[in-house]
Amino acid sequence: MGVKLSEVQEDIKLDHYLLKKPRKLTIEQKRILAHRVMKKHGVAAITLHWVNAICWLILIPTGAALISANYLQFVPNWFINMMTDIFGTRGAMLHFHIMIGVFWLSTLLVYGIFGFKNYLLKFIRDDLVFYKEDIQWFITKLSCLIGRIEPHECPPQGPYNAGQKAYAVVVAFSTVILIVTGPIMAFHLLSAEFIRWAMLLHFIATMSIVAGLFVHIYMAAIFPEERPAFFSMITGKVNELYAYLHHYKWWVDVKMKEHAFLREEYMKDGLTFDEAEQLKEL
Amino acid sequence: MSKYAMVIDMNRCIVCHSCEVACRSHYDVPVPHYRNWVHDLPPQGVYPDIKKTAYIGLCNHCDDSPCTEACPSGATYKREDGIVVIDEQLCIGCGLCIEACPYGARYLNPEIEKVDKCDFCVERVEDGSQPVCVETCIGHARIFGDLDDPNSEVSKLVGEGAIPLISEQVNVGPNIYYKDDRDVFPVVEAAFPPREPRMPTPQSWWSKFFIPAFKLAVAGTFLGQAAAFAVQLYKGESEVKE
Repeated sequence: MGVKLSEVQEDIKLDHYLLKKPRKLTIEQKRILAHRVMKKHGVAAITLHWVNAICWLILIPTGAALISANYLQFVPNWFINMMTDIFGTRGAMLHFHIMIGVFWLSTLLVYGIFGFKNYLLKFIRDDLVFYKEDIQWFITKLSCLIGRIEPHECPPQGPYNAGQKAYAVVVAFSTVILIVTGPIMAFHLLSAEFIRWAMLLHFIATMSIVAGLFVHIYMAAIFPEERPAFFSMITGKVNELYAYLHHYKWWVDVKMKEHAFLREEYMKDGLTFDEAEQLKEL
Repeated sequence: MSKYAMVIDMNRCIVCHSCEVACRSHYDVPVPHYRNWVHDLPPQGVYPDIKKTAYIGLCNHCDDSPCTEACPSGATYKREDGIVVIDEQLCIGCGLCIEACPYGARYLNPEIEKVDKCDFCVERVEDGSQPVCVETCIGHARIFGDLDDPNSEVSKLVGEGAIPLISEQVNVGPNIYYKDDRDVFPVVEAAFPPREPRMPTPQSWWSKFFIPAFKLAVAGTFLGQAAAFAVQLYKGESEVKE
């Protein structure tokens, strides 16, 4: 494993494993943390994220252009005409939407089934379950909405902050609705009455995701403080300064695991528990 | 441009159902559905003053067709020549058009799971021939033609007083006209009045509440992040990396 003893010693110098909140860092400590990286996403999460993103980029415009009745239309006429012209016929556009949709949902199912233990359960644990600090995060954020807030004034967050978690809940719930309603409409699995309800639910689920998508993209790609999160979706890694300031609970968690691992390794070399503890803390 | 229509001569129809059978066999219409129907009506009046007639119906290819307005995706639409057709590739069989049609002219074909109805045999008409029901009618009770052509037989019959099946409440500009010299059409009007177009609950909620709600939500989040981006542009990025 790539954990060097010297690096661990730096962590010891920082010395707030058991603090409830991250401490104000000296410039030297910031410099050290900024130059170290830790793993945030595995290759499965990265590939799934970008396959998902590309599918959505195709599915949103084709799906929006499919709704052309006056009383349901929500995109301008020129857009519907443009999309229809691209595909030639509206039937071809529907067919393409269904094909990409089936590809999208089979990708999710493959990841969900084969990655059930290692990825899906982890996603549910990290992203969908709310703790006390998440509620506090909302209260702090909402009360400081107007002014710019220092990251360490918020309660320490896990790998995802409460805002990200809230959107993840919307996305997870809507994704399930889309996976169920899509095939019902595309393959006429139930009676016409169900198809009508499926159309409405498909719309609501999509719009719930799209409404948050602007914030998701802005926060990840443009907003300066969260920019490391964007690159972590490519490299899988974030710098430790970002992790320390924005996801302190997660940072502590990872560090504790690294130390436990090191201690185990020392003990395998024949040292006693106490000796290993001492060596670890050198 | 042409505007296709049909006149049904109530005097010449002998209720032999040939048109119905021809249509069913031509398009493999599964029982109990119809593209084109002849519904027998019981005798009216007291002997010897008895009248017997039938409701001969098909898609009315209405001018203000509620079905094409109800279709979410434009799978059913009105051609420039007035014929209302269905794009089978685009139809998903949600049946909103069935709910909308005042005449019950549409049905969900259980074999292909798509909506089907009379299309005036559009392929035959394009080739210059007549719809199968017209061609097969032994009494020349069905007359098909172009209303925009003042010399066509349908134009003349409509000019002479053939009337469509409408009511005070429902008039969506149907293009099937009934020529009635025996005063039997009121019986048909009483037995098969056109019904109001229906919109199912989910679509009603969708258009009334969810479309505005989500336009607002999407516009809100978009403007929110646009404002945040504008502030960020105004402040500029810090020269020194933290």
